[in-house]
Amino acid sequence: MLTRKVAAVGAAICLLTGAAYAEPKTNLLHQWSQGSDAAAIAKLGEMFTAAGGKWEQTPISGHTANTLAKLRADVIAGNAPPAVQLKGPEIAEWNQTGKMANLDDLATKEGWDKVVAPELLPVMKPAGHWVAAPMNIHRINWIWGSTKAMEKAGIKELPKTWAEFNADCEKAIAAKLICLAHFSQDWTDATVFEVIVYGQSLDLFKKAFVEGDTAAMRSPAMVDAFKEFRLIVDKYMDPAIAGRDYDTTTGMIAKNQAAFMIMGDWQIGIFKAAGLKEGADYVCSQAPTDWAKPGFILNSDSVAFFEQSDPDYIEGQKLLAHLIMSPKFQTVFNETKGSIPARLDVDLSNGFNACQQMSQKDLQASIKDGTLVRSMAHNMTILQKYRGAIMEVITTFVNDPKMTPEQAANAMADAVEAQK
Amino acid sequence: MGNMSRADFRFIEACPMANVSAFNNAMASAPTWRGVLRKWAPILIITPSLLVSFIYVFVFTLWTFYISLSDSSLLPSYGFVGFQAYADLWANQRWKIAYENLFFFSAIYVVVSLAVGLALAIAIDQRVRGEALWRTIFLYPLAVSFVVTGTVWSWLYSPNAGIEFFVRSLGWSDFTFRLTTNRDLAIYAIIATGVWQSTGFAMALFLAGLRSVDPDIVKAAQIDGASRFRTYRKVILPSIAPIFIAVAVVLLQFAIKTFDLVVALTGGGPGIATTFPANYVYDLMFQRGQINIGAAGAIMMLAALAVVLVPYALWTVWRHRREVAARG
Amino acid sequence: MADVALNAEYLAASRAESRRYLWSRIGVYGFLAIFALIYLLPLFVVVANSFRSLPEITHNGLIGLPHDLTLRAWPQAWSKFCVSGACAGIQRNFYNSLMMTIPATVISTLLGALNGYVLSKWRFRGSELLFVCITLGVFMPGQIALMPWAFILGRLHLSNTIYGLILVHVAQGLSFTTLFCRNYYVNIPDDLIKAARIDGAGFWRIFFKIVLPLSPPILIVTVIWQFTGIWNEYLFGVVFTSGPQQPVTAALVALSTNQMNARAYDVASAAVLIGALPPLLIYFFGGRYFVRGLTQGAVK
Repeated sequence: MLTRKVAAVGAAICLLTGAAYAEPKTNLLHQWSQGSDAAAIAKLGEMFTAAGGKWEQTPISGHTANTLAKLRADVIAGNAPPAVQLKGPEIAEWNQTGKMANLDDLATKEGWDKVVAPELLPVMKPAGHWVAAPMNIHRINWIWGSTKAMEKAGIKELPKTWAEFNADCEKAIAAKLICLAHFSQDWTDATVFEVIVYGQSLDLFKKAFVEGDTAAMRSPAMVDAFKEFRLIVDKYMDPAIAGRDYDTTTGMIAKNQAAFMIMGDWQIGIFKAAGLKEGADYVCSQAPTDWAKPGFILNSDSVAFFEQSDPDYIEGQKLLAHLIMSPKFQTVFNETKGSIPARLDVDLSNGFNACQQMSQKDLQASIKDGTLVRSMAHNMTILQKYRGAIMEVITTFVNDPKMTPEQAANAMADAVEAQK
Repeated sequence: MGNMSRADFRFIEACPMANVSAFNNAMASAPTWRGVLRKWAPILIITPSLLVSFIYVFVFTLWTFYISLSDSSLLPSYGFVGFQAYADLWANQRWKIAYENLFFFSAIYVVVSLAVGLALAIAIDQRVRGEALWRTIFLYPLAVSFVVTGTVWSWLYSPNAGIEFFVRSLGWSDFTFRLTTNRDLAIYAIIATGVWQSTGFAMALFLAGLRSVDPDIVKAAQIDGASRFRTYRKVILPSIAPIFIAVAVVLLQFAIKTFDLVVALTGGGPGIATTFPANYVYDLMFQRGQINIGAAGAIMMLAALAVVLVPYALWTVWRHRREVAARG
Repeated sequence: MADVALNAEYLAASRAESRRYLWSRIGVYGFLAIFALIYLLPLFVVVANSFRSLPEITHNGLIGLPHDLTLRAWPQAWSKFCVSGACAGIQRNFYNSLMMTIPATVISTLLGALNGYVLSKWRFRGSELLFVCITLGVFMPGQIALMPWAFILGRLHLSNTIYGLILVHVAQGLSFTTLFCRNYYVNIPDDLIKAARIDGAGFWRIFFKIVLPLSPPILIVTVIWQFTGIWNEYLFGVVFTSGPQQPVTAALVALSTNQMNARAYDVASAAVLIGALPPLLIYFFGGRYFVRGLTQGAVK
């Protein structure tokens, strides 16, 4: 009698806690099919398997559009992926379809609201509920210098303002060096340009690139930014920027042919892979900023979660989100890549180099001073349709020497208005 | 007509004339299920394929057309909006450049492929030795995907490590060969690479056609004293005129679908100089979450195709009617 | 005397003739050789680079003969290189492609032959129109078909399976295969079919005993065309599979469009050769039949 009752109660308990018996599994859809990025995701997979989950991933090669095409195909087929690499305003857009999973319980339990950088919260919680977990924080507004090239040109330290930058470039040119190593693609051109805009006027950046205000795009401040950009493209970069690839550009710094490079912090990982040492071979600093305060343009990769019906996948999502937000993963994932954790409470003194530590300090300072912004060039602010239009104008400006700064500013505003 | 000989069909002629009358009697009696099946077999066989093709061609196209008139953005949605998407599309500088590129590329690509393919076929037809070798050399690019072709040729076009670098390393330090990095010349790189890929197909078809020209006509022309060149121009080429059309049609469908080649070779650059409609449509649909505008672009691509195909279809019908009239 | 004069004239004329012939021979072979060089250059570059070491390629550029022949790239490409989520080279992708391409090619070829047979020998009202409708599929760009296919595969519960991908390729390949086969079968004399029908042969008998034995040239053309097209297809192969099912084109794209890290040109070259090997072999061995089959069909 008793045993039967116990058995019944036991069975009831088993049914109630049935979820806990589900074996967590996941299939992460992402675009890091190669190289160090893929290795970093592999580490996530190892952690997932070690925690008892069944790990599967679908890395999609080529352009980001391919990953998004697969995401759409899966959603249309009724097979939304349990986890997918999404970032920026797209998380909000997908959230509006109502198909995303809700991670609030996990978030409250683990206190994510307190440790994630405040600028990232509206991205991960577009409608007030946690639907995504950030993996890292990238800083875009870095300037890198080749120590030997700078020595040769007589440049003592990395320029702090754009006026200093121009003066340093003159010195570099006099020493028969290329001042700014660059390769022209829509995202790299946009990166350099948004760094210029940010460095010249925080207000202009916020209005034009965060709010998408077309009046700001037509303003004299934007024309000035394009003027500086025209000077840089024509004089301080070399003519072969179209068609050059990334590793050749890194090579220009490595071989001391160029003095500076403006690129996000993943450059640290690339320098490391190329065998360059911070301090000895390259130096880093906040990109030229005319308004003399710590500034930070933020980019963040994140994993978003779509609602699932299979309890195994649901468990897997919770496990994956928990792992992504764990200090261990945040450390391991970001050390070699050059980025810093999305959690502000991780100690960077072990394994992170000086530039990365500087990055975290500047991030904190920038939050305090209210100068932190998200990146337009890396798809963190305005919708893709506006961003795409803006980037087309920027890259056309770079490749068409006849386009004047006024024309570019107006073209940018026109292009954005055409999308509205 | 094909080159099959009557000898191939000898075995059929060996079939004995069956008991015809008995057979006829059997057929005249009540229709058996076997007879019905036999009568309907062709229809049954063709129906699944027809259904699939119908869905694939017409339903998909109609769906795309409807989407271009809808309010779809991130995902397909079905609220009717009107032709706003088309207006938005044509207001875009990048679309205008892409559409122009498509026509420019298609025209030159088809014409040059035809010319080079014909030249190669004529050359091989001159009783050269090692025909199998020449044929394989010119045909193998067809076996390679556009992605690989674009990638390998982008290596060759690269000024830092490709042909320019190589020739300079041989001593000609002033040599420049910069197609893909030049805004005005990059499209020619794409055309050249496309021609490289597809000319083998044109050559194969032209060679086939040249081989099937009636030797008597050629001999007659030679007896009349026509030079080789004249013979080709006045006699041989006109008799293989249909092949020009067939090759052009196949090349055209390659041209319309140009996508992988551009992505691999120039990425649409420098800037947006070599962007093509297929690339922009893909971008709009999947990167920018503007499915309705992407659909409008896709319909415009099909419209460009119709501009070429409809006259061809009409011409075929007219030619067919003329042949029937001539025969009758 | 006159003989000698005539002879001399004749000799001079024939010498001029043979000189012209010689020059025209040189012209033809020269023309072919120049183009052959241009056509072979990429193949040479890829083969050479697969045997050169990466530092040598980075230093000496992409065009050059190997200084020291190294085979390192090949096992890397096949089974060791980290690409597409695992460090097992492209062999898994290679098998995936085989498993997808062979069934799709066989099925679409057979269906194309049947359709071509029906549309050319069993004419009924509207068969011409049907033929045109089926053939229009040749022109459909892939971007249009992506989302509708996703929807259909979802409904059929074939999404992210190899069968779904085979279905997509068969449906899209039908247009080409029907076009080729029908144009070829039109050339089979109708009298042959009539005679067989009088002999009492039905639909299937005629197909298996008459039409199919005459088909090898066009079947080879169709198989070559379909195999190459499906094997080299990237977009659908990537979007309609997941995880470890991806075809070889996905790995090739991963190797060639590497943005941020140093490109491994040597491994990429070896991978390209491995990936292109099946279609290349098919063209190599089937090239003769390709021309022959095109002679007798495909041309209308």
